[in-house]
Amino acid sequence: MIQEIRDLVSEKLKKLDGVVALRKTDQGTAPTLFQEGDDVSQLVLEPRYPVAKTVSKLQKRFKDAKFGVVARGCDTRALVEMVKRHQIDPDRLYIVGMACSEEQAETCYCAEPAPDLDPWPEADLVGDPVPGAPPNPMVAEYENLSREERWDFWNQQFTKCIKCYGCRDICPVCFCDACSLEDPLWVEPGLLVPDFPMYHLIKAMHMTTRCVACRQCETACPAGIPLTVLYDLIRKDVGNLIGYIPGADADSGPPLSLTLADAPIDSELAK
Amino acid sequence: MDYSNTQTICPFCGCGCALNLEVVDGEIVGVLPANDHPVGRGSLCIKGWNAHSFVQHEDRLKTPLIREDGDLREASWEEALELVADKLGSIKSEHGPDAVGVLASAKCTNEENYLLQKFSRAVIGTNNVDHCARL
Amino acid sequence: METNEDKQAFEPKVVAFLCNWCSYAGADSAGISRLKSPANILPIRVMCSGRVSPEMILRAFRSGADGVMVLGCHIGDCHYIDANHRTVKRVTLLQNLLGYTGINPDRLVLDWVSSSEGPKFAKVTRKFVEKVRELGPMAEEMGKSLPASKINVLVEEVTG
Repeated sequence: MIQEIRDLVSEKLKKLDGVVALRKTDQGTAPTLFQEGDDVSQLVLEPRYPVAKTVSKLQKRFKDAKFGVVARGCDTRALVEMVKRHQIDPDRLYIVGMACSEEQAETCYCAEPAPDLDPWPEADLVGDPVPGAPPNPMVAEYENLSREERWDFWNQQFTKCIKCYGCRDICPVCFCDACSLEDPLWVEPGLLVPDFPMYHLIKAMHMTTRCVACRQCETACPAGIPLTVLYDLIRKDVGNLIGYIPGADADSGPPLSLTLADAPIDSELAK
Repeated sequence: MDYSNTQTICPFCGCGCALNLEVVDGEIVGVLPANDHPVGRGSLCIKGWNAHSFVQHEDRLKTPLIREDGDLREASWEEALELVADKLGSIKSEHGPDAVGVLASAKCTNEENYLLQKFSRAVIGTNNVDHCARL
Repeated sequence: METNEDKQAFEPKVVAFLCNWCSYAGADSAGISRLKSPANILPIRVMCSGRVSPEMILRAFRSGADGVMVLGCHIGDCHYIDANHRTVKRVTLLQNLLGYTGINPDRLVLDWVSSSEGPKFAKVTRKFVEKVRELGPMAEEMGKSLPASKINVLVEEVTG
């Protein structure tokens, strides 16, 4: 698969201004902008990085350039959410979709390991799509806990937080210049452990209708807080109540910004 | 038009997490964790995540400054070091070596910090050495 | 052992975000009609219930509120046409989120009170204050820690 992607990228580089993908050198692996003439044999597919964020950054800086990106299922979902929020211009983007393997899907508990390329004007899929992996068993286990036990669980988890803001910084759909989490009005500065419920619940609330379940916040967390248990539950809620799955549908806008006519919610109060 | 990441070691503490400096057209614009590095394993603390912000900061000192009549003026390294040596010497002879304290930095290497404690103990003659990572 | 007396002694603090156009006027109308509404309510006038961000609700809890109410215009009557459509989605999701982190979701309530609905204002506030009184102080709920039970097993599973 990797050779196929490398060939495709070097062919597309003739027409594009560059392709965002991971490059492996002696130093390590990180996202880079491959341009024509670059050594595509350095292009690799592991580990994961929030490339949607990189694409957005580059598109904003180079306003006329057309870039490509090598994207997994989670990356394309993040790209869709970023397009909806006007952070990415889909017409200036070409996508090499990479279908994750069964093993990769299992490590991420990924429900949709194959990138959905239908919404994109220009895209190619490489690799054979595999079915979704079963969800994180911790979520089901968690749902059986009583309220007191849940409180205790998160109390223990959130006291480990060292307030590094890594969960926000790595998140492929977090982009605001002014962040509530840095506003002293909402999150008291200089407090370690950060205030519960402020820091974590504001973050979680901002992830509703937006979290694409890439789980990168969890890998970036130095304290090992299982954030995605919380985010998976919210995703489920948003799916059940509003019928919205972040990253899945390019045509429906962010439901929290829409009226009840455009994005109804299953609630007595909505009548 | 150029975007790449340069992997380096976080300058802030002794842990030695690797981080990637995001560089666009020669300008450092951000930090990404090094997901394949054995030390940080893709995590950083708040200092590492912001390790890029001082590099091109306008307030960053690029030459030594000497205060004269209340105002700071730029000076050469030679002049500055000479002044520091003079003053340290006179403090030592006037008030004794324990009138001097030495603060080391976690941003320095082990070897630099070793030299600094050696300097304070052997040259100045005081045990007043401390380090911010000892907190 | 909690006695009946302790329960009586607890006076819940409830922050109520009232929309300027409907619910604040509704509170007024309750007052003018001399309808009894509990003194536990701390009203905060906002231009629209759609203005009430999750941050504001969470900060109310953080600042010591035992319950938070968001009251706005009925759907379809919003002064800003459809701003309260966002409120209902946001508050519903926040209620669920509170539940997921072990905070009783009943401590947050959303309702619609129009400017003519003085009696409804009195009723929903009274009902909510009674509910919160039953739930007890928020600080107590948050301060309680369970003995090492299955939580520790779960925590171990996560942290390895």
